Amino acid sequence: MKRWIAIAVIVLIAAAVPQFLSPTGYWIRVFTFTLLFAAMAQAWNLIGGLANQLSLGHAAFFGIGAYTSTILLLKFGISPWIGMFAAGALGGLAALIIAIPTMRLQGHYFALATLAFGEVARVIANVWTPLTGGPGGLSVPFVPPSFTAYSFKQLLPHAYIALVALIIVTVIFEVIRRGAMGYRLRAIRENAAAAEVIGIDTTKVKLQTAVISGVLTAMLGTLFAQVAVFFDPDTAFSAASISIRVALIAIIGGVGTAAGPILGAFFIVPIEELMNDLFSSGAAGLSQLIFGVILIVVILWRPRGLVTIFEALRARLQGKGAQS
Amino acid sequence: MTILDVRGISRRFGGLQALSDVTFSVPKGQIVGLIGPNGAGKTTFFSTLCGLIKPDSGAIALDGTSIVGQKPHKVASLGMTKTFQNVALFAESSVLDNVLTAGLLRHDVETARERALVCLDRVGLKSVAHKMAGNLSFPERARVELARALCTDPKVLLLDEVMAALNPVEMQEIMDLIRQLRDDGITLLVVEHHMRAIMAICDRILVLNFGRLLADGTPHEVANDPVVVEAYLGRSAEGHA
Repeated sequence: MKRWIAIAVIVLIAAAVPQFLSPTGYWIRVFTFTLLFAAMAQAWNLIGGLANQLSLGHAAFFGIGAYTSTILLLKFGISPWIGMFAAGALGGLAALIIAIPTMRLQGHYFALATLAFGEVARVIANVWTPLTGGPGGLSVPFVPPSFTAYSFKQLLPHAYIALVALIIVTVIFEVIRRGAMGYRLRAIRENAAAAEVIGIDTTKVKLQTAVISGVLTAMLGTLFAQVAVFFDPDTAFSAASISIRVALIAIIGGVGTAAGPILGAFFIVPIEELMNDLFSSGAAGLSQLIFGVILIVVILWRPRGLVTIFEALRARLQGKGAQS
Repeated sequence: MTILDVRGISRRFGGLQALSDVTFSVPKGQIVGLIGPNGAGKTTFFSTLCGLIKPDSGAIALDGTSIVGQKPHKVASLGMTKTFQNVALFAESSVLDNVLTAGLLRHDVETARERALVCLDRVGLKSVAHKMAGNLSFPERARVELARALCTDPKVLLLDEVMAALNPVEMQEIMDLIRQLRDDGITLLVVEHHMRAIMAICDRILVLNFGRLLADGTPHEVANDPVVVEAYLGRSAEGHA
């Protein structure tokens, strides 16, 4: 019960925040991207947290999502709301194609293989000019603002759409984590041979997880395209600013927990922006350096993620309660 | 009625013939002991039966269905599973979750939880259901293995040294449980080093040596078989003379 009240309060605060930010300003944009990255890190968390497979190729699904809906809008005038589902279908298919050969790999090898797949996707998007526009990128065409056309004059509706997306992805994550699939994924993570012997189809469960993660990430790619308005292969399929960043957000926040990616995103995205804001006028690379130092300090302080702050806090409160 | 039929199973690892033309069949509801010196191929044989290792040749039928080349999860859903000799629990999950996960083979989460508690009760571990599996003692972990295997509702259960390191009282409890399971209609194959326990509970004993089936008979027959005695104790004194 307490838990539900806490969740309701957090959602209400998140819903109130955009009302206090300037509707045409810079920080509502940061807030929207923070929510989107939290949702992406949550989708990544299915593979990276529950299945414990460190994917560094999620930009592949993300980019496919951004490109699919935008190409459908440009060429056929299809609303991104519908394009989002086409994006999800293609993202899921791509996840399946990548997962079949990489699924058997463990640890570093899985990370490297997925990183390579992400890069392959970026290269394809760069050279397949007739479809993607090549290195020149794509602009989301202007359509008269309306909800059905997924076109708005301001960023405020985008912020709320991103918030709803984060809530949906988090609910999906929690339902999977607590349900039969969550038990099966934990079993596979802790002992794959034993999991098979007690009747778990380890191949099928891993593929299902990869596909769900790919579908969600691609659909979030569509939301990104609608906010960003312009993107090219090197942004949408970026290893550093999408694949690795999404993994980093989940890891800093706390892998395998629903709160982790949200905490991680609200820590990393605004701080990165703030560093750029404060130090970009200084020496080149200074903001990245300071950001890097902050990350190292946080990882040393909380190796299992920022969520452990709350666990420690709760333990201390309960300890005090027991004493009194 | 034959529940498990094994025909000519062989398996080679490099230069080692781990299993060599093993043939036997088990009627439903028997407790069959599998004994043999260390390295005789007992664990390899269990792993082959449940699909973790593919045999080079031979046929295995479970309740009339061929299972050679099937993956372990398929074999489990057809009704045969095993425990792991060196214990392969989900160490960072609770005891209950370990067993519950096996129940998901045939039930939803809620029913699996109820089934898991019943299975834990049967092995006498209900009181530690919420402990982390990795924190239990070795004999307790072996019993969680048994409960987990049981929770898949098997027709044939392969027990690989679940009585290792148990005290006499605990051993008696597990022996009683194995008999109850047989009376429930489960067929059991039991690998155990403790000879007195094997002799007491088994309807029949198979002896493996160097991957070969050396003897197959009642405990009494096997214990008095000179070939078996020789494999275990070396050649008799007269043989050396």
